[in-house]
Amino acid sequence: MNDQVLFDFQNVSFSVGDVDILKGLNFHLKQAEFLAVLGPSGAGKSTLLRLFNLLASPTGGDLTYRGQPLQNDIRTLRQNVGYLFQTPAIFNGSIKENLLIAGRWDTTIANTLDHELKQYLDQVELFNIPLTRNARELSGGEKQRLALARVLINKPQVLLLDEPTSSLDPKLSRSIMDLVKRVQKNLDLTIVAVSHDHELMRRYAQRIILLNAGEITAMGSFGELDDLNAFDMFTDLDRGD
Amino acid sequence: MQPDFYTLTWTDLIVSLVFIAFAIFLIKQWKLDLEKTLLIATFRTFVQLTLMGYVLTWFFGREHWLFMLTLLIIMIIIASYEGTRRQKDEIPKFFMAMLVSLLTSTLLILGTILLFILDVKPWFSPYAAIPIGGMIIGNGLNSASLTANRFVSELKHREGEIETLLALGATPKLAIYDAMKASIHAALIPNINAMMTVGLVQIPGVMTGQILAGIDPIIAVRYQIMIMYMWFTTATLANMIMLAIVYRQFFTSNMQLRSELLREST
Repeated sequence: MNDQVLFDFQNVSFSVGDVDILKGLNFHLKQAEFLAVLGPSGAGKSTLLRLFNLLASPTGGDLTYRGQPLQNDIRTLRQNVGYLFQTPAIFNGSIKENLLIAGRWDTTIANTLDHELKQYLDQVELFNIPLTRNARELSGGEKQRLALARVLINKPQVLLLDEPTSSLDPKLSRSIMDLVKRVQKNLDLTIVAVSHDHELMRRYAQRIILLNAGEITAMGSFGELDDLNAFDMFTDLDRGD
Repeated sequence: MQPDFYTLTWTDLIVSLVFIAFAIFLIKQWKLDLEKTLLIATFRTFVQLTLMGYVLTWFFGREHWLFMLTLLIIMIIIASYEGTRRQKDEIPKFFMAMLVSLLTSTLLILGTILLFILDVKPWFSPYAAIPIGGMIIGNGLNSASLTANRFVSELKHREGEIETLLALGATPKLAIYDAMKASIHAALIPNINAMMTVGLVQIPGVMTGQILAGIDPIIAVRYQIMIMYMWFTTATLANMIMLAIVYRQFFTSNMQLRSELLREST
């Protein structure tokens, strides 16, 4: 991991009408780091993730990517900062058509050869699946892998994960996250993952932001946050308090 | 022997109320509770069309391009209002979108017909401009309303797909292309079906009217063919212009889908 700052959040906030979803966030994201954003439902985690590639705009503060305002070149930003949604949108058509969806506007992607597409599928461990197969027939885990491959074709530098395993069983969740970690290592990716499952993220993230009611309540490594008993909020939630 | 034309007198029209009486009898038999509504509709049909006849007669007596244009613009404004009222979902600037699309398609298609196809002299003759303009506006209104309704449904249905495409680097127009295509298809297919079956299973209204008024069926058919072509192009053009304005309302200047509009309009 090097020290180059990719994203810099300076007093960033987000509100809808009178409702403050995110309040005065200050942190940065360094290249090749794996950052997990943890917190209970409604904490503002997904909203925070959407700010990274401008699917939502901050309503206050300054947010920069490589020192530049995000809105300078939105399309390039979004190609560089891939987003894996909680529920992947799989388009009607074959696996190949889904992989090449960005080929509608990017001729380099449109010209990707079949054997190159298979390499992307191998990368997400979808081995020996025909490119012609109907993508909507894939299982939940396979769909999430296909969605990851579709993002990787854009050759992103940053990958945003919005609870990508929330609809999968624990074993499959670990297998997807293991895959993400391997892909990160191979491609030198920077990752921001949003999750409510701090036990799952413990295996992968280097740094954690704890978010509650739109505010950062703690930030640091798992070791540092354990020392502060910062995860007690999850224990309380598990007990139903 | 072929008659010159059949004249329908006011007395004949009163006799035709026998149809409504028969319908009311049937409705009563089945206890459908539609009698009152049907009576109001019968009365409105009579009053609205009679008034329209007098308005048209008044306009037909004044051959001036300004009169013709004013009447067409009033018809377009009323149609745009009606289209906005019919829209079940909230679409920002929808009235403006309807107005621009109906105005553009009407002027372009009506102008082509008057100047180059029928070669009407003078070109603003209300005898041609008003009825043909009315057909163009009516068809454009129906088609654009249908497309707009379907477009919002498509956006709701495809919200995840649209955000995925935006997140991959698509422009808003590229991201909603599939939704646009599906909604225009849905609106144009009835027009295409009508073109496929015309003359086989139905004799269209304009042709029927002309034949009843004593026009040679061969001539009436030519008019009908022109009208079918005109309808399709009107629908296509009105839909495209309307959607080109409407789709932008669903995105911010930062290429973000305004999902809140899709929630509000459920």
